[in-house]
Amino acid sequence: MFKLPRKTLTNLILACFAVLLVFNFLSCFKNPAQKLFKPQLSFISLVKRELSGIIFYHRNMLQAQRLQNNVDLLRWRLFELREIAQENARLKNLLNFKHKSSLRLVPARVIGRAIDSWSSSVVIDKGKYNGVRSGMVVISPKGLVGSIVESMDNTSKVLLINDPNQGISSIVQRSRQEGLVSGTLGSNLIMRYLPDEAQIVVGDVIVTSELSQAYPKGLLVGRVVNIGREFSGLNRYALVKPIVDLSSIEEVLVIIP
Amino acid sequence: MRNLFFLLTIIILATLGLNWPIFLNFFYCKPDLLLIFMVALVFYTDFKTALIFGILAGLAKDVFLPWRLPVNTICFGIWSYLIYRLGRQISTEENYVRLAVVLAAGLLNNFIVGLQSVSAGNIIPPGIFLRNLIIVSVYSSLLSPLIFKLTKKIAA
Repeated sequence: MFKLPRKTLTNLILACFAVLLVFNFLSCFKNPAQKLFKPQLSFISLVKRELSGIIFYHRNMLQAQRLQNNVDLLRWRLFELREIAQENARLKNLLNFKHKSSLRLVPARVIGRAIDSWSSSVVIDKGKYNGVRSGMVVISPKGLVGSIVESMDNTSKVLLINDPNQGISSIVQRSRQEGLVSGTLGSNLIMRYLPDEAQIVVGDVIVTSELSQAYPKGLLVGRVVNIGREFSGLNRYALVKPIVDLSSIEEVLVIIP
Repeated sequence: MRNLFFLLTIIILATLGLNWPIFLNFFYCKPDLLLIFMVALVFYTDFKTALIFGILAGLAKDVFLPWRLPVNTICFGIWSYLIYRLGRQISTEENYVRLAVVLAAGLLNNFIVGLQSVSAGNIIPPGIFLRNLIIVSVYSSLLSPLIFKLTKKIAA
């Protein structure tokens, strides 16, 4: 049925090679393409946000009331913590501790999501002009979001932590047990390479490890929801629910080292 | 002028794909609008136009994916050619045949993309693999009449 003439087949193969050649120069192609998409992506995300604000007005109002209560409570706690922090700083000075520099953050807005279901990434509205470079870590006030995989002039692509291409060296906060957290495209992450005697239980908090070259130590990743044994029987694995709701994330912070 | 409209449609569909509303996601899956457009082009335009814009649609998709291999660009070109050949062997005038073609193209495309991801060493649980394979393809084929209508209007 699909018997191809030799000439057509040669043309097809040549076309494939041409496409591969184009992709060798992809970076010079991607930049103008993403520049072309940025205005309408920004506009649509704005319209979407405003429309959802109107449609879900009642729900948002109740949510705002609940959050306001939380804010009042947290403001009080913050006041207490500020006192403790000041006391801590004074004591550190006394003990001659080295001053650890705080993180420099660039806020960015999500203007696009993954175009297919085989990857988990978002496009943000900050790029090289704002100091954002490939490999930088992206967080939200709640915890780790992902890392920059590609940075254009005005936009950047963020690979979220639930993408299978992500690998984050992490530890269990309570027992300091190490493991590798990677995405599964589902709602949970998977923490692998846990030995049989690993001290890990459901509910444990997972944070980034200091072994990770890419991520700063101590960033909140998620909470263990299930523990199982790998198919090989050699190791155990843990399913981790990300702290950040990655499906509806709208604003992120890029850590500038 | 017609070609300009095709290009514009690719930009609009890619933008829509990137900004697909979450409440329209079906089991965390969104339809592959550019794949439907590629199939529609084969049905409503000549082969050369369909192939060129099909490859461009694949390219627009690959630009926004995190991996470097242009798997959609290559696949879309191949699907354009195969659907064109299929159209010469059987009648694709009936709507249900066209839906079946979109479903088949969706299944094949998703299977190849998924296989490429798995062969790169990524762990994708079988349930999620099947979800992405079947639901995306079915969702795409169900939405295809809308894009067929649009393509037909532009091509006319």
